[in-house]
Amino acid sequence: MPSVFPSVRVKILFFGRVRELTGLTEENGEISEGATLADLLERYIQRYPQLAGFRASLVASRNQEFAAWDTRIAGGDEIAFLPPVSGG
Amino acid sequence: MPTTPESDLYELVRPAIDPATLVRHVRAGQDGAIVTFDGFVRDESHGRATKYLEYEAYESMALAKMREIGAQIHEKFAIHRVAMVHRLGRLEIGETSVFVAVSAPHRAAAFDACRFAIDLLKRTVPIWKKEYFQDGAIWADGEIPPAAPKTKPAS
Repeated sequence: MPSVFPSVRVKILFFGRVRELTGLTEENGEISEGATLADLLERYIQRYPQLAGFRASLVASRNQEFAAWDTRIAGGDEIAFLPPVSGG
Repeated sequence: MPTTPESDLYELVRPAIDPATLVRHVRAGQDGAIVTFDGFVRDESHGRATKYLEYEAYESMALAKMREIGAQIHEKFAIHRVAMVHRLGRLEIGETSVFVAVSAPHRAAAFDACRFAIDLLKRTVPIWKKEYFQDGAIWADGEIPPAAPKTKPAS
């Protein structure tokens, strides 16, 4: 059905603690055009309230580049919410 | 984006890392020095005895970030070749998790570049380590990448 707020399809990836807390490794989602990375995170926090406590430690990536939370999402984007990194 | 020479090596692997192979990879006649960093699994963490570790990565992004680090050290230091390999999956005590080898005509550049590379890897490459103990497991504290410092998620 046509909508005033068209939505775009994105792929969201989950790693480490975020993967464990949500039980997700990857999913395709839809979000309104013009939504930001912060909006998308907010949606996951509502779905998985246990994420809320880790919000301040997460960093977003968009198409495999770190991205500011106010970055607008575009159709086909690959998004991830990355916990603090601990390689090495 | 700066590129890295074809002769460099950047990899995420599951089998054991063989440091000797990587050192040979960066060693060339025009060089006079190789500096390596061998990071391996310690038997304790914050006073608790570690049983083993498990590493996971956002593999495509992690490799891209490792290559970016390589490009940066080529730009900053007078070095020749770089090999940078991180292992994923379950690692036992004493096993190498990350290995960096840098060759250069002179030692100072090799030392500086190797140190710079491993420090940046730990801060910016999306790899995560879970530590398993006798009585449970935790995700290592880690570092928040200095990614997009201007804004925070709404709270």
